[in-house]
Amino acid sequence: MKPFEYKFSDKLDEILHILSQSGTDAKILAGGTDLLIELRRKPKVYPGVIVDISFVNELKGIFEDNNHITIKPLSTHTKIFKSDIIRKKAYLLSEATSQIGSLQIRNRGTVGGNIMNAAACADTVPPLIALNAEITLRSQNSVRSFKLNDFFIKPYKTKANPDEVLTEIKINCLPKDAKSTFIKLGRRNALSISRLSVAAVLQQDEDGKIIDARIVPGAAFPTWQRVVEAEQMLIGEKPGIELFRAAGAKVSEVMISYTGRRWSTEYKEPVIAALVRRALERCSI
Amino acid sequence: MKKVNEIMNKVKIKTTINNRSYKLDVLPNQTLLNFLREELGLTGTKCGCEIGECGACTVLINGEAVNSCLVLVPQINGKEVLTVEGLSDGEQLHPLQKSFIEHGAVHCGFCTPGLLMTAKSLLDENPDPTEEEIRNAIAGNLCRCTGYIQVVEAVKNAAGEY
Ligand SMILES: Cc1cc2nc3c(=O)[nH]c(=O)nc-3n(C[C@H](O)[C@H](O)[C@H](O)COP(=O)(O)OP(=O)(O)OC[C@H]3O[C@@H](n4cnc5c(N)ncnc54)[C@H](O)[C@@H]3O)c2cc1C
Ligand code: FES
Ligand code: FES
Repeated sequence: MKPFEYKFSDKLDEILHILSQSGTDAKILAGGTDLLIELRRKPKVYPGVIVDISFVNELKGIFEDNNHITIKPLSTHTKIFKSDIIRKKAYLLSEATSQIGSLQIRNRGTVGGNIMNAAACADTVPPLIALNAEITLRSQNSVRSFKLNDFFIKPYKTKANPDEVLTEIKINCLPKDAKSTFIKLGRRNALSISRLSVAAVLQQDEDGKIIDARIVPGAAFPTWQRVVEAEQMLIGEKPGIELFRAAGAKVSEVMISYTGRRWSTEYKEPVIAALVRRALERCSI
Repeated sequence: MKKVNEIMNKVKIKTTINNRSYKLDVLPNQTLLNFLREELGLTGTKCGCEIGECGACTVLINGEAVNSCLVLVPQINGKEVLTVEGLSDGEQLHPLQKSFIEHGAVHCGFCTPGLLMTAKSLLDENPDPTEEEIRNAIAGNLCRCTGYIQVVEAVKNAAGEY
């Protein structure tokens, strides 16, 4: 690794101060599972300063209040999938984090790093968007909030400035009777990077009619979003294989309207449709 | 811990490695893996891929299995690190080490230190894992020799002695 200046503090205020003094070539370090690999690849713009936030306790923990859950960005994938609150009230996020990388990667990689790195295959993002996540970014002189689905510009590019730290992720608890899932398709079982994934939530009323539906594909669109066109088809209906198949086909159609047809479309078109159908089936059992 | 570290080059850290405390002046632009091997001579921890995929470099930080190739040395400040050299109790092998030998789970041995550390972290938390739990825990440790069957058996057997 080429030399850099290393700075750290266990206080958020001091981190923000360091960042305000560091200029644009500073890079924040959390778990390092993306950043260290990038540094070794000798990126074109090599950071002059690494600002290590991994000691900041204020940025750790998962808290529940009043139908909301606040997830601090340094929560590791292991902490999230072991959290009772998440398992009970945001199940799909528990499912997604349990499948990330390997034990070693889950012990180290953080949800904040996953979001801020903004890789198309980031597995926490589709569930978080399905949970209507809002994030807070802080710099020395500003506090900004974004809906997570408005935060990404394109893969690896977000609306954050280099001196901003992601300090909080806030999600809505799922209603008690809602069911949710996250399915990812990799090339192999262990350590697989998502080729395609789907986060889904369904809620039915007493008569079995669907009253809430959320579908967020991962690694399919230029940026992540709920596929409202497909969700709308489900509202007011009762679950059924034909209905779910049609919703899957709709998601494919919408995907192609964004991405156009390219070399991978022949593969992605049927696969995303099948993943959506399967995810909806799981949510209706 | 120092509040803001202003030192340009080396970083002062305090850490515990294999139950011994150290006060060190470290260059920040090195991984824990390189530091262990090159500066402390602890070459039991192996260097395979250096991109988090093979698990040969697995060590425990505060009891959790991590890839030491993805940790910067100053990040172990105030933490406890355990490497394969710290597994045995003097001459007395750890139950996992004995079990790996008894079950023929060590072939070329390159993956063994990493597998032992991952297995230790699993058994410390879950002394009676199912086969699925064992396989899931070691999914980030590649072994090109054994086909994993002996490894899984060895971990299961050591669990009995925990
Ligand atoms: C072998 C391997 C397998 C993997 N498998 C998966 C997988 O299955 N699914 C998946 O989604 N990912 C996977 N990853 C990617 C990675 O582990 C995750 O993206 C992880 O969550 C990144 O978190 P981190 O804390 O390690 O980030 P870091 O590497 O520390 O940081 C990543 C980026 O985010 C920025 N950053 C971090 N925290 C903040 C913050 N609070 N505020 C502002 N900026 C911040 C950093 O500056 C950097 O640009 C894998 C990686 C490896 C090496
Ligand atoms: S050398 Fe660290 S995971 Fe391969
Ligand atoms: S024993 Fe040779 S790689 Fe595992």
